[in-house]
Amino acid sequence: MSLIELEAAGASVELADGGHRTILSSTTLALSEQRIAVIGANGSGKSTLLRLLNGLLLPDSGSVRINGLDTRTHGSAVRRSVGFVFTDPLSQLVMPTPVEDIELSLRRLKLPAAQRRAAALAALEGFGLAKVAENSIYELSGGERQLVALAAVLAVDPDVLVLDEPSTLLDLRNTRLLRSTLAALPQQLVISTHDLDFALDCDRALVVDNAAVVFDGAPEDAVAHYRAMAA
Amino acid sequence: MRGHAHLIGNYHPGSSIVHRTPLWLKGILLALVAVACFGFPTVGATTAVLAVVVGLHFAAGLPARRIWRAVRMMAPFLVLIAAFQWWQNGPGTAWTVVAAIIATVIASNILTSTTTVAALLDGLSAAVRPLARFGADPERFGLTVQLMLRSIPFVIGAFDDVRDAARARGLERNIRARTLPVVIGTVAYARATGDALAARGLGDPED
Repeated sequence: MSLIELEAAGASVELADGGHRTILSSTTLALSEQRIAVIGANGSGKSTLLRLLNGLLLPDSGSVRINGLDTRTHGSAVRRSVGFVFTDPLSQLVMPTPVEDIELSLRRLKLPAAQRRAAALAALEGFGLAKVAENSIYELSGGERQLVALAAVLAVDPDVLVLDEPSTLLDLRNTRLLRSTLAALPQQLVISTHDLDFALDCDRALVVDNAAVVFDGAPEDAVAHYRAMAA
Repeated sequence: MRGHAHLIGNYHPGSSIVHRTPLWLKGILLALVAVACFGFPTVGATTAVLAVVVGLHFAAGLPARRIWRAVRMMAPFLVLIAAFQWWQNGPGTAWTVVAAIIATVIASNILTSTTTVAALLDGLSAAVRPLARFGADPERFGLTVQLMLRSIPFVIGAFDDVRDAARARGLERNIRARTLPVVIGTVAYARATGDALAARGLGDPED
């Protein structure tokens, strides 16, 4: 399993008046469990924490390392080993059809065109999406889109999968489908979610509040802590 | 956002002779259509080119509604252009100009409808590969053009959505209410696309 390390990692954004607002205060963590949930209110800092893991956001202070690779100095290598799934798959799917979007992911592997196409179709087949391979992404259901986004990320076989509220836009049926799909994956998963059942499926859970990790422990305890905070 | 409208069509699977024609040849034919229409602006030449292009559209097995969809989106502009040309230069010129525009749009549509995005990206990358010695990144160039094409339907869809939202609030005559959200939405879309590409490592230097 991969090792994700945050060492006094903090992040802030610059405001229009020249000041700074902290979006994640200094955080030190070592994550080695297979499934890690991140829960917390909207705007609490969950997405910031997740974006640090893929190098989408670099820390202002401290460091973030994935299997020893610093996101600041080895950004490309980190992104090759950490896949990121966004809340809204339409933000993530940049090509007109599922098969073309997965082919785009595979371009990084420098495969010949025919092999790339075959690999993309095989990736869709693995998720039961072969029948919509050539459809417009706008014609897919929300669940299908989220699965295509997941397939596009998994096509390049990352070691770690980071998912930012992947079920927020899904109905109950598609949420269950996504949960069962994720449960079968061998990758290390870091999932931010408002779905507490999702969090309870995990091996460890972090509660984020007011730009800080305020609880770190077993999912049952984390959910209880979060419920008490929200009460 | 809707993002459904397409002036330039998505790939339409098929095995017609047009589908099998190499991309470089399709590119040359597209350029020839433009040169023929705008270099020899006569009623006879433009009508002949339009007829050939429409024939190729059907030879590629593309449905008639694709032509209608592209023309419908341009219709207000075509009507204005035709009216102006008729008034200034007579009906022959009006027809020549409008037919030339329709012919080139249909020809572009045929190219994108019969070529996969991956083949387009490969073709564009190959076309600019000689410039790599001057520092150009062929892969990035191809991807940029593809993203630009992908953004057109999104922006059109954004205008539709914002128009409906303005209507629902009784602000259909308010220019600000009908344009500002499009600008904000388009910038947000560009940022989200950038994030999506960065997360997949597609903008990284060694790519």
